Amino acid sequence: MKAIVLSVLVVLVAPVLQVAVVNGLSLPGGHPDIVLVAVIALAPHLRPGPEAGGLPERGAARGGAGAFLGFAAGLAADIAPPADHTIGRLALVMCLAGWVCARAAADGTAGRRAAVAAVVALGATLAGGVLAALLDGTPWGAALAPGAAAWTVGLAALVAAAFALRPRRRPFGRMPRSRGGSRGGSRDPYARGRRLA
Amino acid sequence: MRAAGRRAPALLALVSVALIAADTLTPLEPLRAFGSAVYGGLEDAASAGVRWASGERRLEELERENTRLRADLLAARRTVPSPAQADGYRVAPAHVIGFGRDGTITVDTGSDSGVDRDMTVFDGDGLVGRILRSGPGTATVQLATASGASIGARLEGSREVGLVTGVPERGLLRLSLLNPSAGVKPGDRVVTLGSRDMRPYVPDVPIGTVATVEPAPDALTRTALVRPFARFTALDLVTVVLGPQADGDAVDASAGRGATTARTAEGDADEDTDGDADADADAPKGGPKSGSKSGSKKAKAA
Repeated sequence: MKAIVLSVLVVLVAPVLQVAVVNGLSLPGGHPDIVLVAVIALAPHLRPGPEAGGLPERGAARGGAGAFLGFAAGLAADIAPPADHTIGRLALVMCLAGWVCARAAADGTAGRRAAVAAVVALGATLAGGVLAALLDGTPWGAALAPGAAAWTVGLAALVAAAFALRPRRRPFGRMPRSRGGSRGGSRDPYARGRRLA
Repeated sequence: MRAAGRRAPALLALVSVALIAADTLTPLEPLRAFGSAVYGGLEDAASAGVRWASGERRLEELERENTRLRADLLAARRTVPSPAQADGYRVAPAHVIGFGRDGTITVDTGSDSGVDRDMTVFDGDGLVGRILRSGPGTATVQLATASGASIGARLEGSREVGLVTGVPERGLLRLSLLNPSAGVKPGDRVVTLGSRDMRPYVPDVPIGTVATVEPAPDALTRTALVRPFARFTALDLVTVVLGPQADGDAVDASAGRGATTARTAEGDADEDTDGDADADADAPKGGPKSGSKSGSKKAKAA
């Protein structure tokens, strides 16, 4: 439930924040893409519903949820007013970014999550730049600006690490029903099972 | 559910590709209109909240007056009379509420205020750009430095005609003069040429000054880099030119926008000779020939 609320917030607020606040700041080099950062940070924390049973299915469902979050946020960034590029460009890039992030970073330490986030952010920024140059005729120098990419990669790694390290009472979403009864019991080694799942 | 979980990423990627293809073939304007209705309102609210928090609310009256004066100044700068015979512009003030990455910005005035596509936008420094599309409460402005922008321009001194295009990665503009032997030197001022019917660009808006003259690789055009007057990374209050302020229709459209506009327009109506303006000017006199309702009411009252 919490994950759904956060996802809706990301889709609604992140493009507005990007356009109204972040792009107006005078940062050296360029501006981070905070929609991409939000997708990368949140995608690993989306949980599949309790009906997804075994491990492979859970991973696939989580990947689907990440892809859907990325698609929705990317489409929002595509159509939020000042945007004047081909619709679907950011949706495609962020859909793939959310999917990869959810599959690769869901079960790992903070360091692994930060590394995955950085790699995915770099890949998505480069892919987005190539698409911008090919589809919309953006000059290559502007499409692949290193300053903006550096901001995005750094911020993505930082936020992903912070998300993984935050003091956690209980994970996002419902506990799986099979483990619901043992929540909080210290004898159950799977009490914080989402790290292992 | 399990199958959906496996297929969803591929399906969504396919939908994205389909969207790209569809938007390339035929622009998806309804989707953009939806986006500007939803996110335009949110951006407007966010920006208004920030402005309210910083106590700029009471400045709005001054901003409005400043905008009108700026438009008068722009009209007064024109040395060559244009065919439109406009002695002023109807304008709308706007705040910049969003900066995009495609060489575009969002302003907080839209089709509710009469803003439509291909209208000139300028600020206190010089030309900003033109309206690309307008939503109900917001509009998207294409900056002069955008990679797709091209603006008819002329040198203010020699009146040589040329074309200004954006050089987005450097924040500069490139002026290509049609006359390859035209004299141009650093420091020359560049102004807009003006378009037919004042759209998208009204004439004689200052654009910038020539920074460097590029050595001509071919002799077809003369090119120079122009440093724009407007500071595109720090835009705040801008002015949208809605159209010329000349006839009675213009007054109707901008009714309730302040007494000054109406008074100026009344002065015009007295001098004008076209039918609408004459009817407006005659009505208060209650001439016997006019069969209008107001005329007959006045007759009864008398």
